[in-house]
Amino acid sequence: MAELFTDLSDLFAAVLANDAWMMNEALSKPSGYLACIILMALGVPLLLGIFKLVPLLDRNLERWIIIASYLVITAIIFVEVIRRFVFQVQVPWSTTLPPYLFLVMTWFGAAYNAKLRSHLSFDEVRMMLPPSGRFACMVLDAVLWLGLSLVVVTTTLRQTTNSASNFQILLGTDNVMQWWFYAAVPLSWLVLSARVVENFIEDLRAYRSGSELQIGAPLQTKE
Amino acid sequence: MDQGTAIFLISLLATAIFVLGVPIFLVIAVWIVGVSVVLDLTFDNIGVALSDVFTDGFALLAMPLFILTGDLINRSGIARRLSDFAYSCLGWLRGGLAMASLGACGLFAAISGSNSATTATIGSIMHPEMVKGGYEPRFAAATAAAGGTVGIIIPPSIIFIVYGFIMNLPISDLFIGGLIPGAMMVVAMQLVCWIVSKRNGWGHLIRLEARRVMKTALGAWLGFFAIGLVLWGIYTGKFSPTEAAGVTAGFCLIMGLVMLPLYRYFGGATEDSDPAQRSVGEMLMVKGFSFKELPDVVMRSGQIAGILAPLIAISVVMQQILSLLGAQATLQGFVASMGGYYAVLATAMVMVLIAGTVLESLPNTIILAPILAPIAHSMGVDPIHFAVVFLIGDAIGFITPPYGLNLYVASSVTQIPYFQLLRYTLPYLASLLAVWVIVALVPQLSTVLLSYIGR
Repeated sequence: MAELFTDLSDLFAAVLANDAWMMNEALSKPSGYLACIILMALGVPLLLGIFKLVPLLDRNLERWIIIASYLVITAIIFVEVIRRFVFQVQVPWSTTLPPYLFLVMTWFGAAYNAKLRSHLSFDEVRMMLPPSGRFACMVLDAVLWLGLSLVVVTTTLRQTTNSASNFQILLGTDNVMQWWFYAAVPLSWLVLSARVVENFIEDLRAYRSGSELQIGAPLQTKE
Repeated sequence: MDQGTAIFLISLLATAIFVLGVPIFLVIAVWIVGVSVVLDLTFDNIGVALSDVFTDGFALLAMPLFILTGDLINRSGIARRLSDFAYSCLGWLRGGLAMASLGACGLFAAISGSNSATTATIGSIMHPEMVKGGYEPRFAAATAAAGGTVGIIIPPSIIFIVYGFIMNLPISDLFIGGLIPGAMMVVAMQLVCWIVSKRNGWGHLIRLEARRVMKTALGAWLGFFAIGLVLWGIYTGKFSPTEAAGVTAGFCLIMGLVMLPLYRYFGGATEDSDPAQRSVGEMLMVKGFSFKELPDVVMRSGQIAGILAPLIAISVVMQQILSLLGAQATLQGFVASMGGYYAVLATAMVMVLIAGTVLESLPNTIILAPILAPIAHSMGVDPIHFAVVFLIGDAIGFITPPYGLNLYVASSVTQIPYFQLLRYTLPYLASLLAVWVIVALVPQLSTVLLSYIGR
């Protein structure tokens, strides 16, 4: 136990010192999971508080990030192919930056789908269950999402700090760091966790009041 | 408890939570975490794979871009014009409107790369028309679901991109391999549609008029141009598939924005009016979309990419663990023991079909392709031919219960309950199975175009 707290204080010291290598060393120990439990326990309520205070952000956080990433990816590829055809020139990062934006877009997209409950699932059995059974399934969903979030936040934070400590630069650029993009993964999973908790609170209220429990449709196809 | 029993129990648990409606992404993740604990594997592999699957290359990027292209041509009204063109060509036949829906699916699939986008787009355009035209609503919905299967066989295709990415095969060659089988799937389903409609007397007939066909073809010029752009770019090697996707998406985006003011200037006829009554100027313009509408279009694609891309990443991790477990060697041993060329091909097809009934196509491909393709290749099956056969099986999985994604999408678009669609999908399923067997038996259907262009 004492060792665990020593590791945590090492991590805290590394964060204060802004030293990516020390952070990576500290996160790589088993106490990294404990640190991420604390991070999630603080981060999720903080995000929920921000969402409540700023409804605009609540509605649009994932939307803005996804739309901006998507349009920038399209613009880079479109413009650079045209430039290659017309001027025989192409910037070197035009093939390396878009995949990193795709990474950002993907995981914020996953958070957005968690919010809308639109991740693909086989809902036929769940829809036939009585409200208590349906609610139990929703509890199961929430527990599994949060458990997986812990694993993903911890392991992707390790990857992010590892990339930062090795000063990995985005190929084709002089000073764009890869970790800026890798950091989007734990961050998006933190947002995803907040969305899961938000939905769960909604489900709990609906269950207690006896109103209809929401089950997301696979792929929101309504225009 | 030994490792084997523990892994078996974890697999049972994963199946149970799938049945209880836990998202497929989570089901796979639970299996991975559970098996990693049993095998004492580090979880770090999960974090690395969830990032590096996307950042390791440029090829996978074609997937979100082709999804976006599909949504852009839908919102700009180009998809509607393709449907009008298909109807003007086939409306004189009994069941012509339903056959036109299938034809429109084929045309839409030649610009977009997604089965669900094909079903959703053509379903939302053609289903109300078919119901008005006297078709049984459940058959109309089943037509959209079945038609969507060609979305991933007629190039460009998301699943071909993923297959090429996983198996290290040239994606443009895979695209070429899918052309003839995709066209065969459309024609086979149209044949079934004609027989069923004729037997039931469904649909009203319109006369085949050259003027109408020409006018609707003119109205769909942007769609044909986009199809030409994709095909020309990829097949001449001017673009990589990702670049083709980016260029087509950029083109459709610009055209959508430019067309709106022009469309209004030329009178802005409603899309429901008869194409024969519209002027050439009106037909040349599509309704397009405004800057204000653009975020919604992009977001729709972003949402679909946010469902499919995480599934790809998590399936890659599952595949890695399966290889570590030796599942690959065991399954390969089983398939190889079946005998020669045709026995191996048939066994692989049965496995893909069974897996397709419960698995989404992306995990199905990522998990099974690395297992089955090498053994098929060792038996002399051409890799491109095997890919096409494998992926037609995957496509058929979109309309096979219990988990048939197109059936869900069609059900969502048409508001017809999932289980009511199943019966009406059966004739289409039979025709697709027949095409599948023919494509498997005749490798030239997948490879002849490649030989023709010298690849």
